[in-house]
Amino acid sequence: MTDHDATARTGDADATAETAPEPTRGEPHARDDREDDQPDPVVEPQAAALATTDIRRTFGEVVAVDDISIAVEPGELRAVIGPNGAGKTTLFNTIMGSLPATAGSVHLDGEDVTDRDEHERPHMGLARSFQSNELMADQSVLENVRVFVQTADRGAFSFDLFRDHRDVGRERALDLLDTVGLDADPEALAKNLSHGDQRRLGIAMALATDPEVLLLDEPTSGMSPGATRATADLVQQVQSELDLTVVLIEHDMDVVLSISDRITVLDRGSVIATGPPESIRENDAVQSAYLGGMREEL
Amino acid sequence: MTDANPTSTDRDAQTDTERGAHSETTSSGVFSRLPDWVGRYRIPIGLVLFVLLLRPVVALPFLLGFESVATTILIIVLFVAAFNLLFGYTGLLSFGHAMFFGFGMYGAAIAMSGHGPAPELGFLVGAVVGVALAAFVGYTLGRLTVGKGEIYFAFLTLAAAEAVYFIANRDPFGITGGSNGISGGAQPGWIESFRGELTVTLIPWPDALVDVFGWLDDWYLLVGLVFLLAMGALWQVVRSPFGRSLIAIRENENLARAMGIDTARYKVWAFTISGAFSALAGALMAINNHGASQEWLSVFTSGDTVLMAVLGGVHYFFGAVAGVFVWEFTADYLTDFAVLDLGFIAVDISRELSHWQFLLGAVFVVIVLVSPNDGIWGYVRAYAARGWARIEEVLR
Repeated sequence: MTDHDATARTGDADATAETAPEPTRGEPHARDDREDDQPDPVVEPQAAALATTDIRRTFGEVVAVDDISIAVEPGELRAVIGPNGAGKTTLFNTIMGSLPATAGSVHLDGEDVTDRDEHERPHMGLARSFQSNELMADQSVLENVRVFVQTADRGAFSFDLFRDHRDVGRERALDLLDTVGLDADPEALAKNLSHGDQRRLGIAMALATDPEVLLLDEPTSGMSPGATRATADLVQQVQSELDLTVVLIEHDMDVVLSISDRITVLDRGSVIATGPPESIRENDAVQSAYLGGMREEL
Repeated sequence: MTDANPTSTDRDAQTDTERGAHSETTSSGVFSRLPDWVGRYRIPIGLVLFVLLLRPVVALPFLLGFESVATTILIIVLFVAAFNLLFGYTGLLSFGHAMFFGFGMYGAAIAMSGHGPAPELGFLVGAVVGVALAAFVGYTLGRLTVGKGEIYFAFLTLAAAEAVYFIANRDPFGITGGSNGISGGAQPGWIESFRGELTVTLIPWPDALVDVFGWLDDWYLLVGLVFLLAMGALWQVVRSPFGRSLIAIRENENLARAMGIDTARYKVWAFTISGAFSALAGALMAINNHGASQEWLSVFTSGDTVLMAVLGGVHYFFGAVAGVFVWEFTADYLTDFAVLDLGFIAVDISRELSHWQFLLGAVFVVIVLVSPNDGIWGYVRAYAARGWARIEEVLR
């Protein structure tokens, strides 16, 4: 997987992931486990809906994201799994621009967005939900979605001074609340919603930006098994209805194995395997590095 | 909902947004019988009522008994509301807003005292230049400071305001009057001053027009008119999609940015608009106070502005009204009477009352303890909502 992306980026058919980045960084990586990679269909960054190429993010001495290359096909539902601290959320943050990448590049639909500001990326079709419930706690449920419908409609900045906000984006916001199955009173304060409803609200807010690629950071965290199943269904339903490419960080293995087209496994900042669910389930490197005693569960 | 009331427990406030004045979750049958536009335009309606009622109320003999403070209150409300666009709505604490007020005040006073290019247009030119300068400084300073984090923003604005204060103190080219400020002759030709009372002779009304109420040349009403236009503009900013983006930034800046809002640019423009309206208030004050004085440029003015906004409730459009009214009223009331007459005994407390700031500070502490975050206006609203609910219950 990594090999293919690096190859595609450099345009050199003979290059490998091991040789391509080394001259610039000059530090050896222990990558023996790469031998077990399930070969991915070749997706060039230019053809991918979302691609990262050797993206890297360090915090001082700590390498949180270590030259990760992934390429997500249009319409794919990709799960990103890995133990705590594997760098999943940091990967999302570098893709979204919340954290600038230390090195490497991010392509969105073939366009290099590495140097774009964080607030520009949602207008290019990239949206995210957060791991924790990031919302405007003291605003109404409706306003939480409406204001971002307005943002998607008017752009990152707009002198829209002569209108009443209530006349802008309200219908679409209500539709989105309906889409995610949030049936709470739209005028209720967001902070008064249940945890599960706040997670749904987060997805509705992400959808408000009218994305093509949707990054979901643990949409089922803190949910009961029943609610987890419902959320997994919601993700699938939203993806097919809106024709989205979805990248999903998820801990619940049932969800991951049942809904994803491909799975990328991270460990200590690196990709250790990428492939369809059945091959990930059998992958020895994944078993030892991440799943450990979880073979039963799989 | 035309003013942001995120911290309110008052359900009315949350529910009157979209479906007319009040929706089905509201208990208030009284309000639901009112037409939709009353809910939608209740803030402008409230502002008109405020202008009409303020002067007669403060002039009541058992309150202040004199009218002139009403004009001052209107002007300072405009200033604090402009400040609050930045503080309460965008979440940026400027500790140097006195400088914007000062640009308007000094601009108008300098032009009126004959330094301007066209003395006959004096006030207008000065006010326009002052407002433009405030907007320019707001924009430039905003570009330099809004990305620096809250504390740094507060201190950088404070530093800028101090710089302006010292420039005025140095009296460059002899136009700012140094520590004396500007007084003599700083009055536009269309204002007549008689024993401190200002009358407006701007429009030569035809003799046939009988001025029954004395409204045609009323300085208070002219200020009231400008006040309503400016406050109406600020209200429109707050309720517009632009204003809602500001609130999103205040509520959760990281979220706003991740969702595609250019937070830095919105902040810069909020600062610019806030500065311009503050300068307008300053220009009005230049006429009202017959000139410009340096105390208005000082750090105390900036600090009082923050306190008045917090006192009133920063998340409410009417917070500025409530905060300034209580502040100014208390200050005047406490300094106005010297003898506490309890009927059977009269005590001279003028000496104690000379420390009125101490008492005002006590009022401030009590308000903040009783109604943290929400200020006076939030408290009154919540109380009024509960009162309405009780009345409804009884009527039913």
